[in-house]
Amino acid sequence: MSTAQLPTPTPAPIARYRFRRPRIASAWRQPLAVIGIVLAATWIVVAILAPVLAPDDPLGQNAAPLTPPGSDHLFGTDELGRDVLSRVLFGARLSIPLALLLVGLALFVGATLGAIAGYFGGLIDSIVMRGADLVFAFPAIILAMVVTAVLGPSIRNAVLALVVVSWPAYARVVRGLVLSIGQTEYVTATRLLGASARRALVRDVLPNVAGPVLVLATLDLGNAVLLLSGLSFLGLGAQPPQPEWGAGVAEGIQYFQFWWIGTFPGLAIFTVVLAFNFLGDSLRDILDPQSSWRAGGEGE
Amino acid sequence: MRTRSKAWKALLAAAALLAVVVAAATAAADSSRAAAGTLVVDKSFDLKTADPQRQFEVTGGIVAHVLYDTLLEFRGSDVATPRPSIATGYKASKDAKTYTFTLRKDVRFSDGTPLTAKDVVFSYRRLINLKGNPSFLLGGVTSIGAKGNYTVVLKSKTPNPALPAIVANASLGIVNSKVVKANGGTDAVGADKTDKAEAFLNRTSAGTGPYVLKSFNTTSRVELTANPRYTGRRKPKFANVVMRNVLAPAQLLSVQRGTNEISIDLSPDQAKPLFGNKNVNVQAVAGPNIWFLFANSNPKISEITSNKRFQNAIRYGLDYSGSVRLAGKGSGRAAGVVPSQFLGALGDSAAIEQNLAKAKAELAASGLKDPEVELEFPSDFTSSGLSFGVIAQKVQADLAKVGIKANLVGKPIATSLANYRAGTEQLGLWLWGPDYPDPNDYLVFLPGQLVGLRAGWAAGSDATLEALGRKAGSTADPAVRGKLFKQLQTQLNQRGPFFPLFQPGQVVAASKNLTGVVYNAQFQIDLSTIGSK
Repeated sequence: MSTAQLPTPTPAPIARYRFRRPRIASAWRQPLAVIGIVLAATWIVVAILAPVLAPDDPLGQNAAPLTPPGSDHLFGTDELGRDVLSRVLFGARLSIPLALLLVGLALFVGATLGAIAGYFGGLIDSIVMRGADLVFAFPAIILAMVVTAVLGPSIRNAVLALVVVSWPAYARVVRGLVLSIGQTEYVTATRLLGASARRALVRDVLPNVAGPVLVLATLDLGNAVLLLSGLSFLGLGAQPPQPEWGAGVAEGIQYFQFWWIGTFPGLAIFTVVLAFNFLGDSLRDILDPQSSWRAGGEGE
Repeated sequence: MRTRSKAWKALLAAAALLAVVVAAATAAADSSRAAAGTLVVDKSFDLKTADPQRQFEVTGGIVAHVLYDTLLEFRGSDVATPRPSIATGYKASKDAKTYTFTLRKDVRFSDGTPLTAKDVVFSYRRLINLKGNPSFLLGGVTSIGAKGNYTVVLKSKTPNPALPAIVANASLGIVNSKVVKANGGTDAVGADKTDKAEAFLNRTSAGTGPYVLKSFNTTSRVELTANPRYTGRRKPKFANVVMRNVLAPAQLLSVQRGTNEISIDLSPDQAKPLFGNKNVNVQAVAGPNIWFLFANSNPKISEITSNKRFQNAIRYGLDYSGSVRLAGKGSGRAAGVVPSQFLGALGDSAAIEQNLAKAKAELAASGLKDPEVELEFPSDFTSSGLSFGVIAQKVQADLAKVGIKANLVGKPIATSLANYRAGTEQLGLWLWGPDYPDPNDYLVFLPGQLVGLRAGWAAGSDATLEALGRKAGSTADPAVRGKLFKQLQTQLNQRGPFFPLFQPGQVVAASKNLTGVVYNAQFQIDLSTIGSK
């Protein structure tokens, strides 16, 4: 791990630019990357434009209940006569921003704690990392269920619960990177040249940490959507009548023969998770020198 | 080459043999079942014990109902009029405090011992002193006495006109006192600690019912065989009955496949594939549970929901028929708090109907501007396959049309039940299931009573209703009592804080060849009346 970073800091800006440009293009040109970008972009557009795109009020019980998909209601209606398509579209407004918020919060908490642990070491390091190990010891969804059970079921508490279970991943990665980069010769050199610890951290360590953490965060976005809908599915996240995807799937299970109630929210979850996973993978190929070199060399 | 063909032949012969054996075995199994006449009942078990005085669960009730006869019984789908069983009839004193039951003289237990009043007294005392779940049924009874061998007298401190209905409960099944005592049973005070008969009663039944217990397992199956010494009206038609612990989706499969199969746990929605299936008879009728909404009448909980005009706005704003439709096939309108099957139930024509103009006028008259209230419900609880969340969303949409903003607050049942019981919910969505099929069980909805207090309705809030409730609850004559309960509910509907919504449907699915399959709100199903064509 630590040896691989050695060559990165030295090249001149121009050389680095020339070296990277074709790689970026090829990574983004992979079919999976294209699918990921298109899907993610579509969902983000949907989240922004939901009120314009949705044919109906997602909460309005205006149509005949349990109408199968047809020309009036493309995705059919649910047991209360609400338009499933509108609910799926509005669901994007809930799931995607909350997933972003959740990952942002987890990243902030995890990266801060990880950096502190890695930089200061010793007792602080032990305390933080044992805390992380403790969280890691439980399956994420179980621990999140415990937290929401304590706080009470609501979408806000579900986000908080998932922050509690997702920060250690970031803490671990950031701590590891800070530790390894902090010991590299160029950091030592900067410090010897008289730069402050703060400057070394911000100018030399941080840019090298940002890449891997960004990859992790992107991959985690899909996971966050999945966990959030999982909690809502179990009745611990979004509360009725919020048009949340996981809650929609749970609703569909109660009315199994009316397949459209659960299938479309399920497909929404599926496509979003898939999109962010593809995006994350492509991003890793671009940002992580190890994986992209291997990919180029071994034709993976 | 030769050996290979030999091997092939051998293999083929073996396969043919296997096929014959399997076919024969299947045929044998089929014919043995037809000859022995075994009825298979699928139910997801909530079974704890076969001891009639200890059980108070649905499955236990079905079993006890055919193992142990009661003094009076309900027949068919009726739960309004208790009919003779062990007793030929009863006499009530005018004040409804003393009930005298005369017993039939030809009743015998499955071991041949004749039944006498002593056995009844023992069973009832044992029920009270075991201090189990069903003990409260005889809570009001202060004296249980026998006059001679065939008369039993029950006395209560306060008028107890529900007693005939209570006596028909399977927990009040009569056990053979001699046999139970010989196997560690007792009816003395302290029986909850000293009675050791449960293990015995889980192996062997000691009743006068149409069936006797063959094997009993609380998690897998219960087997019953016909009681050859049965002397009563309910002659068993099947020689054997097997109750299997099967979850609803599996019940759905087996009832479509077999003959002599009954499934009694399907929700109206789960049963949907069965409607139209030629091999299955499906009944969907309204069950005895009442789903209702209430508005808290305690101003300390909410100045809004305690406003009488606001309550009227809810009363006339709800789309009752829409909720019934949501509740699924077989569901019926709850015209009042007393279920439609019971004595004193209101007819559908007496139910409150939606009237949006009136609702809006009442809201305007309430003086409240854009009221916003919280509607609490158990978020993780379903009953009859119906989730409270769905109905809560329906109510929310109904109220929105009137101009009332109801914020849904779904909580796990442990939390929401605690709030409900503490009377701190502004609007609450709950159900009431009967403890015994009698309107007296619904006096709890009056001011100062159990459910009334949960809706913030303190004693003295409505003196007229309370007086009417006292009168209805203490009248012995069923006809008069029925009328009084109708009056009571009409007034409760007009000015109470409760809004009865519906009674969800109960589904019983049975193979086409079966006869006498009838859902009953008290004992679910009487296995002894089921026969085959």
